Amino acid sequence: MNNKVIKSAFESMLFIWGEPLPAKDAADVFGIDKETAVSLFRELMEEYQQEGRGIVIREINGAFQFTTKEENADYIEKLCTPVKMKRLSQSALEVLAIVAYKQPVTKGEIEAIRGIKCDRVMEGLMGKGLVEAVGRSQAIGRPILYGTTDMFLKNFGFTSLKDLPEIEDIETAINTEDAEMAEEDKDLDQMELDIEL
Amino acid sequence: MYKVKLQSFEGPFDLLVYLIESAEMSIYDIRISEITSQYLDYIKAMEDQNIEVAQEFMVLAASLIEIKSRMILPRITEEGETVIEEDPRTELVQKILEYKRFKEISEDFREREERMSHIYSKPQEDISEYLNNPDEYLSLDIKAFASAFSLFIQRKQRIEAVRKHYTRVERERATMEHRISSILKTVRKRLGERVNFRDLVENKKDKYDVIVTFSSLLEMAKERVVKVEQKYNYGNIEVSAGDNVENDDILRRYSPEEFSEEVLNEQ
Repeated sequence: MNNKVIKSAFESMLFIWGEPLPAKDAADVFGIDKETAVSLFRELMEEYQQEGRGIVIREINGAFQFTTKEENADYIEKLCTPVKMKRLSQSALEVLAIVAYKQPVTKGEIEAIRGIKCDRVMEGLMGKGLVEAVGRSQAIGRPILYGTTDMFLKNFGFTSLKDLPEIEDIETAINTEDAEMAEEDKDLDQMELDIEL
Repeated sequence: MYKVKLQSFEGPFDLLVYLIESAEMSIYDIRISEITSQYLDYIKAMEDQNIEVAQEFMVLAASLIEIKSRMILPRITEEGETVIEEDPRTELVQKILEYKRFKEISEDFREREERMSHIYSKPQEDISEYLNNPDEYLSLDIKAFASAFSLFIQRKQRIEAVRKHYTRVERERATMEHRISSILKTVRKRLGERVNFRDLVENKKDKYDVIVTFSSLLEMAKERVVKVEQKYNYGNIEVSAGDNVENDDILRRYSPEEFSEEVLNEQ
């Protein structure tokens, strides 16, 4: 069977699947190996991109999904009201960042970095399916180790954990940004308190 | 009096980083004394505002004070030797740097989350309908079903609305057990007499009362507790004691509590 036929079938499968379709499952349909399927999916992805289609194929940890093009959000939202995910709180994002980079990680290690307990935040992240228990540490008390899920990759637009930006890259990016923002008033949501001495 | 601006902080390090940055200090050369007093002022301000200060904030306050005191201590031993000691701030600096790193990543995550919120995807399709063995469906037009269901809901809502305004009050009605017991009393009191059915009915205007009396009587006649005679159609019904009028066992069967108490007490 030639690649064109398989790619065409993959396209239909993506359409019907909706959720990220694991390349392995698609490969099994044709009795080809996973790597071949992945490269065919990537070709398809490339074709969509080159044609500037309103549908974008995304890769999430070896699975592929049809999504809308980011630039078309305004038009979609004028047409209908898609369900939006509630944004994470600042503390949830901090904990998530630590889990993403340090995984597998224990709650104790997270708390050591932030200097504050994280039980409730972790509960919330697990409830949202962004973080999950991945095993137990060999340390005393065998604490639970946590890691991020595919849902995390999907919701934050990562292809895989390898896709997480280098910490140094972020630091330089933020530092230049800080310099630009230095002039702006940063006290937007601060409250004023008077302290009598 | 001076003003301190309070932000809500995610934790003690968040507050510390904020104070250091506001004071435009280098992280590598923190003026511990200044920062410690600002940090403590902040905690005091929180307490004054009745904001519950998490114990973790106090832990960091304690380490700050400890570092501060270690920096004041002379770095010379009693023998006059200069001790080359590690800067007491080193560990704190490492922790702050690590925390800042993740705080920055979290900012990057926030931007990504925001961007991804403009990208939509669809849930998985259910294609079982098209497959070989579809589930059996109720052969009913979905529209007809929906309208029938909504009618049902509407009716239910109307009834509920009315019910909300009225409490149902019900008169306590005589039971057969009660009636049997009262008939029995009368018959026993008037042994050897014929009692008119009408006299046994307590409230002759109440159809229900008449019926209860009548069926009680039938029940009692069946067990031969009373004899019932009617000379002609629609004529007077006359009640007299039957063979089993003294047999409490039979009567107890109808209503154990009733007879064990009322009838036995009487005797």
